[in-house]
Amino acid sequence: MRQRTQTAYGFLSPYLLIFAIFWLWPIIHSFYLSFLSTRRQPWSFNPGMTWGRLTQDPAFYNALWNTLKILAIQVPVMLTLATLLAVLLNSTLLRARGLIRFAFFAPVVIGEAAYAAVFRLMFNDEFGIVNKTLEGIGLDAVSWFSNPTAAMSLIIIAVTWRWVGYNAIIILSGLQSIPQDVYEAATLDRVSPRQQFLYITLPLLKPVIVFCLVLSVIGSMQLFAEPYLITNLGGPGGATETLGLYLYKQAFLNLNFGYASAIAYTIAALAVSISILNLWLGRERS
Amino acid sequence: MRHTTVCAALVLLASTGIARAETEVKVWSWGSAAPALEATLEGFNALHPDIKLTVDKLGYSDVKSRVLAACAAGGTGLPDLFQFQNTEMELITAQFPDCAADLVPLGFDADQQAAFPEFKMFALRQGDRVVGMPWDSGPVVMFYRRDFYEKAGVDVASIETWDDFQEAGKAVQAANPGVTMINDNLNGGAEFVRMIGEEQGCGYFSSDGESITVSQPGCVAALEVVKSLKDQKLMTAADFNGKLQNNGAGVVATQMSGAWFEGSVRNNAPEDQHGKWGIMAMPSVTAGGSRAANFGGSLLAINNNSRVKEAAFTYLSYALGSNEGQITMLREQGLVPSLISALDDPYVSEPSEFWGGQKIWELVLGRLEKIAPINGTEYFSDADQVVIANQTAYLAGGFDSAQAAMDDAAKQISFATGLPIAE
Amino acid sequence: MKSRSRTVLLRSLALHAVIVPLALLWLLPIWMMIVFASMEDSAIFSAEVQLWPGDRFIENFHELQAELDFVRTIVVSVVVAVIYTAASVVLTSMAGWALARYRFHGRGLVVSIILGTMTLPYFVVVIPQFIMVARDFGLSNTWIALIVPPLFNSLGVLFMRQAFTMMPADLFDAARIDGVSEWQIFRHVALPLARPMLAALSIILFLHSWNNYLWPLLISNDRSMMTAPVALGSLFGLLDVSWGGVMVGSVLLTAPMLVVFIFMQRFFMAGITAGAVK
Repeated sequence: MRQRTQTAYGFLSPYLLIFAIFWLWPIIHSFYLSFLSTRRQPWSFNPGMTWGRLTQDPAFYNALWNTLKILAIQVPVMLTLATLLAVLLNSTLLRARGLIRFAFFAPVVIGEAAYAAVFRLMFNDEFGIVNKTLEGIGLDAVSWFSNPTAAMSLIIIAVTWRWVGYNAIIILSGLQSIPQDVYEAATLDRVSPRQQFLYITLPLLKPVIVFCLVLSVIGSMQLFAEPYLITNLGGPGGATETLGLYLYKQAFLNLNFGYASAIAYTIAALAVSISILNLWLGRERS
Repeated sequence: MRHTTVCAALVLLASTGIARAETEVKVWSWGSAAPALEATLEGFNALHPDIKLTVDKLGYSDVKSRVLAACAAGGTGLPDLFQFQNTEMELITAQFPDCAADLVPLGFDADQQAAFPEFKMFALRQGDRVVGMPWDSGPVVMFYRRDFYEKAGVDVASIETWDDFQEAGKAVQAANPGVTMINDNLNGGAEFVRMIGEEQGCGYFSSDGESITVSQPGCVAALEVVKSLKDQKLMTAADFNGKLQNNGAGVVATQMSGAWFEGSVRNNAPEDQHGKWGIMAMPSVTAGGSRAANFGGSLLAINNNSRVKEAAFTYLSYALGSNEGQITMLREQGLVPSLISALDDPYVSEPSEFWGGQKIWELVLGRLEKIAPINGTEYFSDADQVVIANQTAYLAGGFDSAQAAMDDAAKQISFATGLPIAE
Repeated sequence: MKSRSRTVLLRSLALHAVIVPLALLWLLPIWMMIVFASMEDSAIFSAEVQLWPGDRFIENFHELQAELDFVRTIVVSVVVAVIYTAASVVLTSMAGWALARYRFHGRGLVVSIILGTMTLPYFVVVIPQFIMVARDFGLSNTWIALIVPPLFNSLGVLFMRQAFTMMPADLFDAARIDGVSEWQIFRHVALPLARPMLAALSIILFLHSWNNYLWPLLISNDRSMMTAPVALGSLFGLLDVSWGGVMVGSVLLTAPMLVVFIFMQRFFMAGITAGAVK
């Protein structure tokens, strides 16, 4: 046993070393920082300026509210779309399967900077293809960057565009792991395809969808690059400021490391508790 | 053996200066300031051929966050010289007192300091140290399309107040379909609030930096002007790039900004707009009231860890500290000198072809002495973020009055900074 | 019989009527990237909608190259991604092997720490990580700072642990009886067997590194050490930015990944779905 332990740690230690230095220690250090006022040198112990401020900072609540809005709207929309997409892509009737799969999965590999730039141009108020199209079909142009609701929609559209394929891949693999004979038996029993979807497919997919839900929740809590790059640091006037972006601004534009650490811990606590809630919901009936 | 001899000889050569090595000085800069620095190189290298300046052009917020990150890293990664906004310099001096070099031992003596106006030197003093050299200042003016105004029969001389401007705006928009009267960076800034507020003698903080003044009448009036322009559909949102794009597409009649915007307007205008632009003073809130404000304007600081501080200072003395350097940047990019003696240069009274033969610099520099200094403090970006958010909320109907929006902003800023709200 | 094939046909039509327009919509941003990349800025910001590529790609590339030395930033990105991927694969497959194949003191603890902290957002660590690497170690703008800290990523550990757990134990026991050392077993028996998993993992890790934004944004502020996405992002705030050039950059960042995606779709899917299956 001892020799086993030695061998095992021999294999483990290089990774554990990196993990301890660059992940574990910062987690602890961050907690310590969250009690310091870092506005002036030297830093001093002053939780009132960090945790105290957090309890009554409207900008923080704005960011929290925006993040929850994304969570409540974007995540369900995206997962519904991803599930439907997975079912459609799994259909034996589909032609040009490779091309169509490519269309939805390609955004997964595109970096934030690249797609942010395209979205900025496509949604440009004055010259963008989206507003031109809206005007072309007789609708009003939308001020995507100056109307708070429109800007939030833009972020939701962008994030959905990028991640729906990713989730569809996961759900598709879940679909394909459902044994075919279940459906054959159901068809023999004259269960309609729609009922098959509702009463066989969906329940069997539940664990996979819950997994996607957890991933999406953690992802939404960390949303940063989209409002940073697409709506210019969370504009207009903080309407698309997410918790991640607010943290970035406090830490690296206002140089308020202490306060930013308190925000970081709040994000972490929220992410963990929502994930646990999701997992618990997923487990409940099975 | 031979190797060591060669090495020793090289060291000897280098140290005696026979092999005159080129000294490289790196600088981070943004906007039209970067090409302005490049424009000074010809004159500078004629005097100092051994100093090579490398200008790294970045966006404004990029320079800011990179400088702060580098200072937080104890100076690693910081170039020898960096540009910083005057109003924000205290962020660096409060947090990283050792990040920017003291220029006094390098030769920035009392006489040289006196060559710059006090409203620029103010934020650079840190006890006896001086942590940067003032660069440009930003007297606020209006850049307008003569042809659009003329078509509407608007005489700019008749525009004295913001009410006048709004009347003119309705006429201009009616006479020029598809044209908007003016752009403000509503989505990412509170620029008009700052400019008009300062015109009315109101900044985010009191001049001693000890209290919050954002809810004072001048700032509230500024927010009211913004709301009124927006509600009457005379103003649309556009950031720096957006303004230039709108200019280029001919869909905007006026831009208000610090005079440093001149070079950007001029250098980005398509050929057929030459001669069609003009400059006028900003309107006041009340008839006969102040029409001068400063917006923007920056400084250059030397990295305290730089190995070529002397060379960097030599460059500063030429580019910012001499008439020749400052006038070159004025001519090429419209950067308004803060070096007082440069204002007497003959170039200042020359008419400009692009601006329809107008003597623009006389008008611009005429604003300078009327500008009141504003204290940015190290909390400037905290305050700015709050004001931007409340401006958006107020424009969307989130507050009953501009006063309520600014009272709330003052409360938030007070909470973030621990400073009291001025009575 | 005939009516049956008609239902199938109708269903197929309905399916395609939904999915083809949607697919085209999804492809539009990528198509527009190419269109914008080959147009002059005055055409991008003009009243007419342009849907067909122009002929300015090369000019736009030259502008981008002059502005950013974009080729260099691509080289930085490639070097960082390659070394990061290789290092992460080595480190995490070793760790995954240990966790999959040995029962030892502290195993449960190690697994639960790794699993437990993995759900924490990166923001919790980014500030102290930055202070430590930049200020305490003074490593801003170095290869080490770009490559090493992101190696904490535990994705590979879980991924490879699963791969090794699924392999039959007799295989390794047989080798042990022959007196082969543990390292040799890992190196010459287990790793070759795990090749498809290693490929899938490598692709995902490479993609992570290639598109990583926040950490390189913070830690490398010198032009010579900027990664391509950060350099591209730095153009957004610039006044006389050539958007055509930015789009060329976007195309150059995206195209290689799309090619990899097309040719290695199987590994991609495996990499993405690995976490979900178990």
